[in-house]
Amino acid sequence: MSAHTAIEQQLLAILRHYANADANLTATTNFIKDLTLESVRVLEFVVEVEDAFDIAIDIDSLSDIHTVAELAAVVARLTQDRPA
Amino acid sequence: MKLLDKFTATTAIRDALQRDGVSPTAIVIDQILSPTEALINGRRTLLVGTNNYLGLTFDPDCIEAGRTALTRSGTGTTGSRMANGTYLEHCLLEQELAAFFGYPHGMVFSTGYAANLGCLAALLGPGDAVLLDGDAHASLYDGCRMTGAEIYRFKHNDADSLRKRMRRLGAQANRTLIVVEGLYSVLGDIAPLADFASVRDEFGACLFVDEAHSFGVFGNKGGGLAEQLGLLDRVDFIVGTFSKSLGSIGGFCVSRHDELPLFRYASRPYIFTASPCPSVIATTRAALRQIGARPQLRTQLWRNAQRLHEGLTAQGFTLGAAASPVIAVRMGERDAALHFWQRLLAAGVYTNLMLPPATPDGGSLVRCSVTAAHTDAQIDTVLQAFRAAAAQSVTATS
Repeated sequence: MSAHTAIEQQLLAILRHYANADANLTATTNFIKDLTLESVRVLEFVVEVEDAFDIAIDIDSLSDIHTVAELAAVVARLTQDRPA
Repeated sequence: MKLLDKFTATTAIRDALQRDGVSPTAIVIDQILSPTEALINGRRTLLVGTNNYLGLTFDPDCIEAGRTALTRSGTGTTGSRMANGTYLEHCLLEQELAAFFGYPHGMVFSTGYAANLGCLAALLGPGDAVLLDGDAHASLYDGCRMTGAEIYRFKHNDADSLRKRMRRLGAQANRTLIVVEGLYSVLGDIAPLADFASVRDEFGACLFVDEAHSFGVFGNKGGGLAEQLGLLDRVDFIVGTFSKSLGSIGGFCVSRHDELPLFRYASRPYIFTASPCPSVIATTRAALRQIGARPQLRTQLWRNAQRLHEGLTAQGFTLGAAASPVIAVRMGERDAALHFWQRLLAAGVYTNLMLPPATPDGGSLVRCSVTAAHTDAQIDTVLQAFRAAAAQSVTATS
């Protein structure tokens, strides 16, 4: 499993807590359109993601992030940038 | 999609609220009768959903001060504070607010919303970071988003969550603003301000506290939560509003930092709007004097809050937080909350209905706010209305 795929899998596991039990979650799942998550719930999800990966995600950058795959790319970049 | 098509979804939300009777967003007060009563739909209605914490909107001294200013100085200033809109009384109110907190500087804005926007816009810029409480008011979010600063959200009232994010910022931590409120207006819970001040000290950040709902409510002098907890020397900026405990309209910021007066040159929400009219400034100054001179108002406010909180708890309701002047009653599903709120109104009791996404944890709430002007009999009327509405709920679902 590539590092990117591993991040996606971890994100999907976190997202499961915010989605309906019967929701089909994939890397292309759109938080708002597919899951109809309220924006507040998306923000709560992002806080969980920050803690899971020990990163900080600027709220303003979220307007360009709609799917798990897009969020995984941001997480990958921020974890690489993190000081040792 | 055409320009106006975006309102289709809004229309659906509005219609859904109107479908089942009186809409919570379409209440018209035909006539306000006192701090605690109004005519709504021709009915005398008990108000338990205002922000009139100290009940000063009909205070004779405040009314007389406003009337005198109206006669003496006219209806409005017609200009910005940076042009023709600064009258001596604006400056006096700024001095009086600063002195109230023991700070050297104060600044007055046209609304509380403008105060938050104006101060954050002046304080923050590209390269700065802001750490915002997860339940912070929309005006704080909006203000941060105007600035180009990086915005990070931490878990509501969680100092550990704040500290973790501060650590992640590394060298940027000392150019970070922590933004919290004193008393949160949806659930009525109180910030762990001493813990936040410790994080501020640890990382060399600045702490910005919105005391909109806590000014006049907490503290020996009524200065708010920071005053009550002895933290005025560890808070960098305090903002507040005139439209709650002070019974007027407008906003303010006070600080011990000499940079605050410079906000006047860097704050578009301060510069590009008309200043508060003379009668508003006069009633606000009179109300500020009342807050300082009449601590019994706060004593009565907290007594009323305790009475309502205990009564609702005894009836088995689940409440949002410990007793405070904001008492949120958890109602579960949206429709149950809407119908409960409508039953209270039909019984002559006005409260606030809070529905997702405006609620912190996705549930629906009927929110009460208490004022010092409520009598014991009025609090008991509210409790009776809740009891009756709950009984109707049981009947409706059985």
